[in-house]
Amino acid sequence: MSVICPVCKKVKKNPVDCARHMFGTGDKPHRAWFDAQGLSFIDLLLDQATQPGNKSYELVGGYVEKAQKDIK
Amino acid sequence: MSENKYSVLNTRVHNVDGYAKVTGRATYTFDVTLPGMLYGKILRSPHPHAKILNIDYSEALKLPGVITVVTGKEDTLGVRQGIWRRYKDLCDEAILTVDKVRYIGEPVAAVAAVTEEIAEKALDLINVDYEVLPFVDDPMEAIKKEAPLIHEGFERNVNVTRQIAWGDLEDAMEEAEYVREDWFKLGGQHHMCMETRAAVAAYTPDGKLTIYTSTQSAYYHQALLAGVLGLREGNIRVIAPYVGGGFGGKFELDGAQFCASILSMKCCKPVKVIFTREEDFIASKRRTPMYYYVRTGVKKDGTFCAREAKVFTNGGAYTGMGATALYLTGFFHSFPYRWKAYRYDGYRVYTNSLPSTSMRGFGAPQAMFCSEQQIEWIANDLGLDPIEMRRKNGHYEGYEVPGQATIASCGLDEALTKIQEWKKSKGKLPANRAIGISAAGFMSGGIFNWFDSPYSFSSAVITINYDGTVELHVGAQEIGQGSSTTMAMICAEALGVKLEDVKVHMGDTDHSPADLGAWGSRQTLMAGNATKMAAEDAKRQLLEFANAKLGFNIIYDLDIKQGWVYNVARPERGMSYYDLCKEALRGKEGQRIIGRGFYTPRRKGMISPAYSYMVQGLDVEIDPETGYLKIHESVTAHDCGQPINTLGLIGQLEGAASMAIGFGYYEYLPVEDGKVMNPNLVDYKLIRAPEMPACQVIEIDTYEPEGPYGAKEAGEGLTNPHAAALGNAIYYATGLQMKEAPIRAEAIAKAWKEKQQQKKNEKKK
Amino acid sequence: MEKKLLKFTVNESPYEIYINPKTLLVEAIRDHIGLTGTKRGCETVSCGACTVMVEGMAVKGCSILAMQVEGKKVTTVEGLETNGKLDPIQTAFLDEGAFQCGFCTSGMLMSARAFLNETPKPKDEMEIRRGMEGNLCRCTGYNAIIRAIDRVAKGEYKEDKK
Repeated sequence: MSVICPVCKKVKKNPVDCARHMFGTGDKPHRAWFDAQGLSFIDLLLDQATQPGNKSYELVGGYVEKAQKDIK
Repeated sequence: MSENKYSVLNTRVHNVDGYAKVTGRATYTFDVTLPGMLYGKILRSPHPHAKILNIDYSEALKLPGVITVVTGKEDTLGVRQGIWRRYKDLCDEAILTVDKVRYIGEPVAAVAAVTEEIAEKALDLINVDYEVLPFVDDPMEAIKKEAPLIHEGFERNVNVTRQIAWGDLEDAMEEAEYVREDWFKLGGQHHMCMETRAAVAAYTPDGKLTIYTSTQSAYYHQALLAGVLGLREGNIRVIAPYVGGGFGGKFELDGAQFCASILSMKCCKPVKVIFTREEDFIASKRRTPMYYYVRTGVKKDGTFCAREAKVFTNGGAYTGMGATALYLTGFFHSFPYRWKAYRYDGYRVYTNSLPSTSMRGFGAPQAMFCSEQQIEWIANDLGLDPIEMRRKNGHYEGYEVPGQATIASCGLDEALTKIQEWKKSKGKLPANRAIGISAAGFMSGGIFNWFDSPYSFSSAVITINYDGTVELHVGAQEIGQGSSTTMAMICAEALGVKLEDVKVHMGDTDHSPADLGAWGSRQTLMAGNATKMAAEDAKRQLLEFANAKLGFNIIYDLDIKQGWVYNVARPERGMSYYDLCKEALRGKEGQRIIGRGFYTPRRKGMISPAYSYMVQGLDVEIDPETGYLKIHESVTAHDCGQPINTLGLIGQLEGAASMAIGFGYYEYLPVEDGKVMNPNLVDYKLIRAPEMPACQVIEIDTYEPEGPYGAKEAGEGLTNPHAAALGNAIYYATGLQMKEAPIRAEAIAKAWKEKQQQKKNEKKK
Repeated sequence: MEKKLLKFTVNESPYEIYINPKTLLVEAIRDHIGLTGTKRGCETVSCGACTVMVEGMAVKGCSILAMQVEGKKVTTVEGLETNGKLDPIQTAFLDEGAFQCGFCTSGMLMSARAFLNETPKPKDEMEIRRGMEGNLCRCTGYNAIIRAIDRVAKGEYKEDKK
């Protein structure tokens, strides 16, 4: 299901893809969103880089999905 | 191979240091003895992380024969230094640490005594009160919120971050028709120079310091020591005529140099500090261990679209050269291919373990292990020919790596063809035996000046004596790679003399010009350019006298070759260079001709002025049940532009292969709880003569406009591909995808066993 | 510990030295006789940089006590040449560029010389490689060293022989 990035409003194919985009961009506004959710950007990034499987992307994707209803 | 148009270049000559080295006459720092010399030993931290509360060495001073003891707090300026001098926050290492220790083995105090034995005994008499702190020895632990902070001001122990990116990654990934992601783990490796860290420092009452040391850059050490000792560079003389190996581990300030200097300054006597092999393993520095996440998107026809890499490196306790390794691994991870979009995010994390630094390959062996294996797997997933897929996406002459580099010479395509032909010629191999291939490329020196040197990157001065002998003063440091011979050959070719007419002066800051030194594969290109310029300057001056003497019609020009000064159009007409030298000297009122040369790369992109290219093939036999590998044959197609030192080149390529195979298979360096588990040559495995395969090199002919006579690097680039080539051979022979380097025998055996078990389970269903 | 007298021959010259009985042969050679051509690269008898010949046999100088060569003939790298004339193995090393940093070279030459003395006609390259297994080299990857030994074995330097 297509989603909108809660930070920059880009349209992404699905929540995991959006998470990938947010980690990929990694700029201040995107990182600030992580902080606002109580997530640690660096911890999740480290997990993503060092543990096979995409747990971090999936976790963040969940938050993105929840945020869709608040996006205007 | 094309006919050699040069009279000295690319000929088999005796190494200029040859007689000294094969007759036991070469004096290394290891051998240096000075009158009144004392022996220094270093007391090292047994803890990976601890505060130093107090050091009491009063008992040590009582031991007869002990002359002096030094500590960081009492006897040093406490300067936190580092090789990235332009970035003060990355200068984080006070070698005799003042406040706390950050890795097991870190120097805490040092003793100078009349014998080595007494100095060692004295160490036991020094009492250090530590407040042991919690430690972390892996990036995964170090980055946690609750992890102990290793350096003030570095949140989450993140030391350096780097990004290299071009194109729109997300758009380019959208275009991809096949996407693959993999996770890799890269181990460290130790330089394992045959000569351990060594220094003999002699401070004299006139405030001058002379230090003999095993170094890759006499100038770097002169400058670094000046900074930490509070002396002027001009009052420090660094001497390094023979160095027993470097491989990237010997151009940072080390404990032997620092402690020997501090001890000598305190008692005003020469002090010798030589690391034992165990000390060298635990307390020098190592190749950077890394975690790599790679996601690559390609089209079904094999066209590369996008690649994204996220890398965390284990920086160890200090920054050192690790910051550069973080950058270069990300750059060479894109090599040697064209990507529509590329994005590398690298994070270097402090841990309480042996600091990580540069080591031959500089982050590229790690990068290629991941890239070249994944590319092979992608080709197989898509049913494409892996060599043709590489060719389709490879660099070519004139290509611009967006925002990073312009490729001015590139033999990749031909190299791929040569390896393809070799592979075909091998035919069908027996079971458990396969060919693994990997491409690679590397820099010929960096354009960066994070060291903040005010000098040209390389300089050379040539003077010509009455008898035609030539004194070449050059800063290029000989560490075994053959640079002195290479510089002598370039000088002889450019000036037009015989090799035996040239004497090389290097490795002494009193007599050689400042040079950044032997690292990053820079010397052939950079010092070579400086030498060529100096030689041509001297030749031009000589020819003024020759023109006057010979009086040919103005339409004729002159040149010099093998000691003969001649009319280029009528080469039989001319005069002896040796006679000319006598006349020129008289003509200049008894003053020798002096030629000057220098080189600094400008506007050459973000990384390097030139790149070498290679494709490596390995014929490997695997016993999957034991994981035992036997390499039957190694073939390399190699583009280094114009070869200069023929024997040196062969030696460098074979040596690079041995170190690369070590990275890929033999050299496991486990660190547990901050402790190096195998700090000796029984447990740390190096390849030996019976295991080393014959190495065939196919030279690919290109001409690099930025290099002297078209030359570029050789000997470091080839450290990059073998680990991936081994992995690819294992893949074809067994179907196993090995994602951890070194690929340990135990890991192969375990993976094979699991695979067999899996097969059995599937059959049962 | 009381020092003891050691009488031995090094490179065909007689020496008498007073040494601590714990002294290793390589230490006696380097520090007491003053011949620094022989090197040391480890403390675990692993690297071979300290290889010398004792009664013609290749021995790691760190693996025996100096006292063990009482009355015996020791040859070091300095003893390979005669009045400046090189041993064929040294010339072969020069011709093949069989060294780079040179720190392992003295040990390599001694192992190679001893190997060729024992096995003048190696049956194949692997026999040479096995003969050199005790010497580590970090720079060359060994192959140039093997080529140099092979050339001597094939008789290329016959006229240079003493």
